[in-house]
Order: sequence, then C-alpha cells, then structure tokens
Amino acid sequence: MAALQEVEFAALQSLLKAPSKDAVRQLCQECFSSPPAGLGLLAQRACPGLAAGPDEAEQLVSALHNLTRHVVYRGLTRAEDILSLFPENFHQNLKNLLTKIILENISAWRNEAQASQISLPRLVDIDWRVDIKTSSDSIIRMAVPTCLLQLKIQEDVALCGNNPVVSALTMELSKETLDTMLEGLGRIRDQLSAVANK
Amino acid sequence: MGLLNFTRDPVPEAVSGDMHNLNQLSAQQFSALTELLFRFLTEPKEVERFLTQLSDFATMNKISLGPLKNIVKSILLVPNGALKRNLSSEQVRADFIALGLSEEKASYFAEQWKVNSPALTRLAVGQTLMINQLIDMEWKFGVTAGSSELEKVGSIFLQLKLVIKKGSQLENVYVELTLPQFYSFLHEMERVKTSLESFS
Repeated sequence: MAALQEVEFAALQSLLKAPSKDAVRQLCQECFSSPPAGLGLLAQRACPGLAAGPDEAEQLVSALHNLTRHVVYRGLTRAEDILSLFPENFHQNLKNLLTKIILENISAWRNEAQASQISLPRLVDIDWRVDIKTSSDSIIRMAVPTCLLQLKIQEDVALCGNNPVVSALTMELSKETLDTMLEGLGRIRDQLSAVANK
Repeated sequence: MGLLNFTRDPVPEAVSGDMHNLNQLSAQQFSALTELLFRFLTEPKEVERFLTQLSDFATMNKISLGPLKNIVKSILLVPNGALKRNLSSEQVRADFIALGLSEEKASYFAEQWKVNSPALTRLAVGQTLMINQLIDMEWKFGVTAGSSELEKVGSIFLQLKLVIKKGSQLENVYVELTLPQFYSFLHEMERVKTSLESFS
C-alpha cells in the first residue's frame, strides 16, 4: 500500500515556499496531531504564505497528515524506510528535511497515538480515607472502621478532545470487601508476573 | 418501676400484664418460645416463618394467638433496645426483672441473649447506612494488538468492572488501568488495609 498518492506528494512541494525549517517542523506536528475533521481549519490558519489558494492549502495539510500518520501506523523507525516512501523525482533537500523531522518526532507521536486510542473510561486518580463509624440509628455505640474510596475516571479521550470529562466516583468499602478486593488484585499481580517471567 | 437499661422512654402499660402472663408458662414452654424469638431476631426477614411458628406454638400449648402476639411484642422491646445500646446479659436480666418477669425466666433469657448477641450485633452493624457500597469487582487483562492509529501495539491493559449499590439499584462502572496505575492502585489498597487493621 503506497503511503500517499502522487498528487499528494506534489502538494507537499508547496513546503518549499516555507519561511524556515522550523515552520515546516511546526506544521508537521500540527498536521499529525489534528484529527481529520480539523484539517480544514488548520489549512486556513497555518498556510497563508505557503499555498496559492485555499484548495492548495487543504491539499498540503491533508498530505502531511496522511504522511505522518502512515509512518506512525507502520511503526517505521529507520531513515531508509521513510526515504523510500517518497517518489523518485521528489525534491532531495525537502525529502531529507521531512525525514529528519519525522524521525525526531516519531516516538512522541507514537505515545500520542497510544494515549488517544479508544478505550473504556480511564482511571485518572485514586484518593481514599478511613473512617470509624461510632454511632447509627441501629446501634448507638460502635467502632467500625470503613474505607471511602474515590476514583477519578476520565471518559474516552477520543470523544472528549480537549475538554476531558472527569467524573468522581466515591464508594464505601467494609473491611471484608477490601480483603476480597485485595485478594483479587493479588491474583492479577501473580498472573502478570507469571506472564512477564515466561 | 426504676430506671430501665434498654430504653429511656416510658414502657407501655400492657407490658406488666404481658410479663405476668409469661410467668404462667412452664419452663419448657418459655424456653421453646425464647428459641422461636431468637431465631426470628437472627433472621429478621423470615416474618412469614416466624408467624407460622408462633401460631403452631399457640395451638400446641392451647394459648390464644392474639394475647400471645401481644406478649411477644412486649418481650421483643427488650432485645431491640439492648442491641441498640450494647447491653450486657446482666443488664438484660435486670430489665426483665424490673418489668415483672420471674428471676428464673429472666436469667434464662439473659443466658440466651449472651449466646446470640455476637450474631445479632453483626446483623445490626450490617444494617448501618453505607453510601455507594462496593458489591462486586470483576476484572480482565490483556494485550492491545493493534489500533487504527498504530498497526502493532503490544501494550498491556487492565479492565475492572465495579458493581456499586446506589440506593436500591446496582450500577456497573467500567474502568481501564495501565500497568503502572494498577501497581499504584494495589499499593494504595494495601495501605488502606493496614490502616483499617490498626483500627480494628
């Protein structure tokens, strides 16, 4: 599967008009991080100097997005692999610059992709407190320790974008419940170390 | 009537009459009735069964059910108050005597109270208000093989399903944890356990 179509590589040539290498670097990062739906806005904002018109700007941004995403998807880590994506007649210096920029950012981009992949709601924080119940309407005097556990849970990152929705769930655990839970967690830990030692 | 241990409120008038009737029962009948009562106290949900057993007792001993129910109501006042106030068997015995029960029967009841009170106390504590109680926890862990952004991933994930009781309904909460989060969660829970144990 080819990384990009010919017309997309042609669009990349607009980068030759960029004011500096840093500007190209910046644009690459923004194109990778932007979701496909945000590329239109990005094109308007970032490319006034680079492209002849709005169509060219959109094509450039979309091509950069696809190129960077493809490299991250395939997990390409060597310069040769990235260089071989470009067609024969592509501008030499630009090809080297883009490869260099991509290699610099590849591990950060990979982490970004992993952090934003779909998942169940994620645990963000844990807080706990231990109370002693001294009295209630059913017993006037007692000393029962109990645990209040608060989990901060963040909804699916992909859905929230820049406004993470974090909900706090507070629950009460008796000593027996906590013991059972620890038993379960201990079993998970044992299985994890069994897998790790294989 | 002097100050009672099991309650601060004045006792209903009918109680002394009921105690007098109780004194008329033979020791055997009283011990059978006491057994019935404690079985009900340790399993308060079994109301149907208790009422059936009461009416069997009434028939067998040729007592009318109506007065028997009143007697039982009066007797139950004491253990209910005693449970609330963590009374000792001595105090329960003293209260029954103050209410008019014979010494012999009061001592017998107090003995049965001593035997049953740990179970009854545990039951009462269990009925204490719990907010969002954690009922159950299920888990699975595995490896993410790939995603739409990354062809090959190979990272470990852990998913927990927590069943929480909110009011009278059960709610399922699903959470995903990374491996380092799991280890710090385990560490925190062990700290909680140490803390709880130091207070027990």
